[in-house]
Amino acid sequence: MPMKIGTENFKERVDSGIQNDFMRAAVSGAQERLHGRRLAAAEELGNWEEWRSHGEEIRQHVLENLDYYLDQLAENVVKLGGHVFFAETAEDANTYIKEVIQKKNGKKVVKSKSMVTEEINLNAALEEVGCEVLETDLGEYILQIDEHDPPSHIVAPALHKNKEQIRDVFKEKLGYTKTENPDELTAHVREILREKFLHADIGITGCNFAVAETGSISLVTNEGNADLVTSLPKTQITVMGMERVVPTYEELEVLVSLLTRSAVGQRLTSYITVLTGPKQVHEVDGPEEFHLVIVDNGRSKILGTEFQSVLQCIRCAACVNVCPVYRHVGGHAYGSIYSGPIGAVLSPLLGGYEDYKELPYASSLCAACTDACPVKIPLHELLLRHRQVIVEKEGKAPISEKLAMKAFGLGAASPMLYKFGSKIAPSAMSPFTTGTSISKGPGPLKAWTESREFPAPNKERFRDWFKSRDKEGEKS
Amino acid sequence: MKVTLFSTCLVDMFQSNVGKATVEVLERLGCVIDFPESQVCCGQPAYNSGYVNEAKEPMKRMIETFKDAEYIVTPSGSCAAMFKEYPHVFKGDEKWEQKAISIAERTYELSQFIVDVLKIEDVGARLEGTAAYHTSCHMTRLLHVTDAPFTLLKHVKGLEVVPLPGAHNCCGFGGTFSVKMGQISEQMVDEKVMSISGTKADYLIGGDAGCLINIGGRIERKGMPIKSMHLAEVLNSR
Amino acid sequence: MTGIIQNRDVFMKNIASQYGRTSKKEVKRPQWVYRPQDEVMKSASTDDLLFVLKEHCKRIHTDFYQTSVSNLPTTLRYVINEFGGGRIILPKDDRFMEYGLSESMADHHVDVWDYTKGRENIKLAEKANIGITFSEITLAESATVVLFSDRNKGRTVCMLPKTYISIIPKSSIVPRMTQAAQLIRGKVETGEILPTCINFITGPSNSADIEMDLVVGVHGPVRAAYIIVEDK
Repeated sequence: MPMKIGTENFKERVDSGIQNDFMRAAVSGAQERLHGRRLAAAEELGNWEEWRSHGEEIRQHVLENLDYYLDQLAENVVKLGGHVFFAETAEDANTYIKEVIQKKNGKKVVKSKSMVTEEINLNAALEEVGCEVLETDLGEYILQIDEHDPPSHIVAPALHKNKEQIRDVFKEKLGYTKTENPDELTAHVREILREKFLHADIGITGCNFAVAETGSISLVTNEGNADLVTSLPKTQITVMGMERVVPTYEELEVLVSLLTRSAVGQRLTSYITVLTGPKQVHEVDGPEEFHLVIVDNGRSKILGTEFQSVLQCIRCAACVNVCPVYRHVGGHAYGSIYSGPIGAVLSPLLGGYEDYKELPYASSLCAACTDACPVKIPLHELLLRHRQVIVEKEGKAPISEKLAMKAFGLGAASPMLYKFGSKIAPSAMSPFTTGTSISKGPGPLKAWTESREFPAPNKERFRDWFKSRDKEGEKS
Repeated sequence: MKVTLFSTCLVDMFQSNVGKATVEVLERLGCVIDFPESQVCCGQPAYNSGYVNEAKEPMKRMIETFKDAEYIVTPSGSCAAMFKEYPHVFKGDEKWEQKAISIAERTYELSQFIVDVLKIEDVGARLEGTAAYHTSCHMTRLLHVTDAPFTLLKHVKGLEVVPLPGAHNCCGFGGTFSVKMGQISEQMVDEKVMSISGTKADYLIGGDAGCLINIGGRIERKGMPIKSMHLAEVLNSR
Repeated sequence: MTGIIQNRDVFMKNIASQYGRTSKKEVKRPQWVYRPQDEVMKSASTDDLLFVLKEHCKRIHTDFYQTSVSNLPTTLRYVINEFGGGRIILPKDDRFMEYGLSESMADHHVDVWDYTKGRENIKLAEKANIGITFSEITLAESATVVLFSDRNKGRTVCMLPKTYISIIPKSSIVPRMTQAAQLIRGKVETGEILPTCINFITGPSNSADIEMDLVVGVHGPVRAAYIIVEDK
């Protein structure tokens, strides 16, 4: 799956999202549960704001010195006998990974969940050269066997599917015969994947955070699939976004704590696995060969710009889980594997405005995302910056809007024009007015009045009232 | 105490009752109200749509208008938050940055002003019934005013404020978002209205005219027996 | 054996040029302004920590036992039976002898990790019903055990068997991951080579990927138990 998903345009995607009742029930239910859990997990620490500030300062420091820490990381990885490949593009990364696998004559690949490998469309590249690539995260596996249905959430990729749908997919694709009970569905997958783990020759993982000082990579899961992916195959390839590095174990600890609490409201997830180099000589499990692929793919262009803070992201999806827009349209409406507020900020940066120009507007700027972010990315402000770029630099705003805003600038700035405009508003709107409200508005108001009444302008504006009252006061 | 009122354009044009109530409440609490006629819009519609340059003109006008005010009070969390954003907008602008900081420092949302500056919790209001309070996003998350409205409502005689499920969710107004993304906005306001209706409250109270026009407009369209009132109107009820 | 780094220079140049500077060769790790992690359970006693750990076990679906050194064999036997007995896999760890635990497992088939047998160990772990290890560091806050891999302590002892038992010396308990990170970093600073795998394990494997409903037992153990043992 590349970053871009689906072929429909934004409007069509929103339509199908809004009409998908199951998905919406699933998403709103998940949001409610996670909301409570996340708040509780943050609150019990007592000083959550300090944690956020600490997370922010760590991430900012790393980004400012990213070349230093990546260099240190790479040096430490090779000291341990691992290999490091710096990939400027998705293609570079895929080519390198294919070469490694072909050299090992690898055929059976098991993967643990990784957004960056989705972003570079690694699975397709490997399948082209005849590999069997298997996702082992339960949610990813469900999507993969369902004809590569795209993920709709960065932490819970199959959030848009209900258990009945999953049962039906299992019946069709896996010859499953039991019920839609999640325990039974999961047990079935356990059986299938256990066999696959034992016979895989290549393990591919993402990387939650790499530790520069020790050349380690960390993997955060609840299922434990990443542990098997990195224990059983003889070759391990880890793919990481270039920004996912921390100086030492001590910062790793802080970011992991922020991640698990923000993502799922857990103090820690079931498995936090920190791997340092390939296995040692007499160790039995663990990879003989370890490759770390560090991916740029458009990230470095964000450094040093007004959007830099988006690279602070630790992919916890807390912003997604509080977003009221995501709640109603679902992940697929974003047209990107990165959905929700973080997706609306990141997708145009990595994928360009042409494909993602609507996303920055798919926000009421309610700032719930900014509030939820554990590393203090000012997400709603970055959405605003995008809008500004679209208007000023990209020239992608509609002409009618530009004219209206020009008029706004003139009209609202001039007390005389403002007063005139607001004075004539009631008569201008009178053809559309019944009583005190407008049920069928003209122009842009149409979108409003399709679902709501709009108030008719007051015949006596507040300022008229205030003035006449003053005069009366003077008289008495 | 002299208060310079920033009415907001929504109140000026569409909700003049809210402006009147604001004036009457503040006067009752001993304030002298000034309303500078040269005030226009705070620039938020253009600013939030990405038209920063277009927004700067009305912003400058507002800075000039309020430059001598001692306390700038507005019955809107969102518009107050916009004033607080001015220093950011004019950052590095030699002529305007200091002035922007200066007016941002003197700006208060109505309930914040009453509770934090006037130090009054009971304004002597009375309103019979139950109410759901909509915590508007900009007031809570940008202006960080969270307790003041509840403090004031608690002392309104005869009024019981009931908890509103999903209170943290936006009502779907979002200024131009409500028309630009009308379809999504509709889903959001619909959910908000359903949760309000589920509380069986007689009133929907809020501190931002934009949200109230949005939620109230949906309530009216659905013909629900819920009356929407601005906080100022509630505080002015006797 | 040193590995290879490819394509580094141009990559680093891209970063530096975005910042309009040359490559950073020396960066001092800053004194952080915030250190909230030090405040968590700052003045808690070991018994306070034990209480926190015990309470949290309820939330992570993990059975909790507390016992003395002399009763450990009995407790372990009990837990093994609770988990249905069957084949057991252990790391090669002298502590099993020191605590006199072989009698607890006498009724069952026990395999001990033996690196000279190579990947055969993995097959044995896969066949086992129960994996048992000692915790090196134990985090009270999250009820987490920490395992260090080496040639005698295979990574999959705690992953492949159907169930997992962790024996936790009371002295291994620290407030939270902060102290574990400091301990591990201490090793780095004294030049010690880190274990290739350090695993922070919190209860059994689980997933909420289907309708956000928690399912316990996905790829790893489906049940887990902790046995806290008073130190000798």
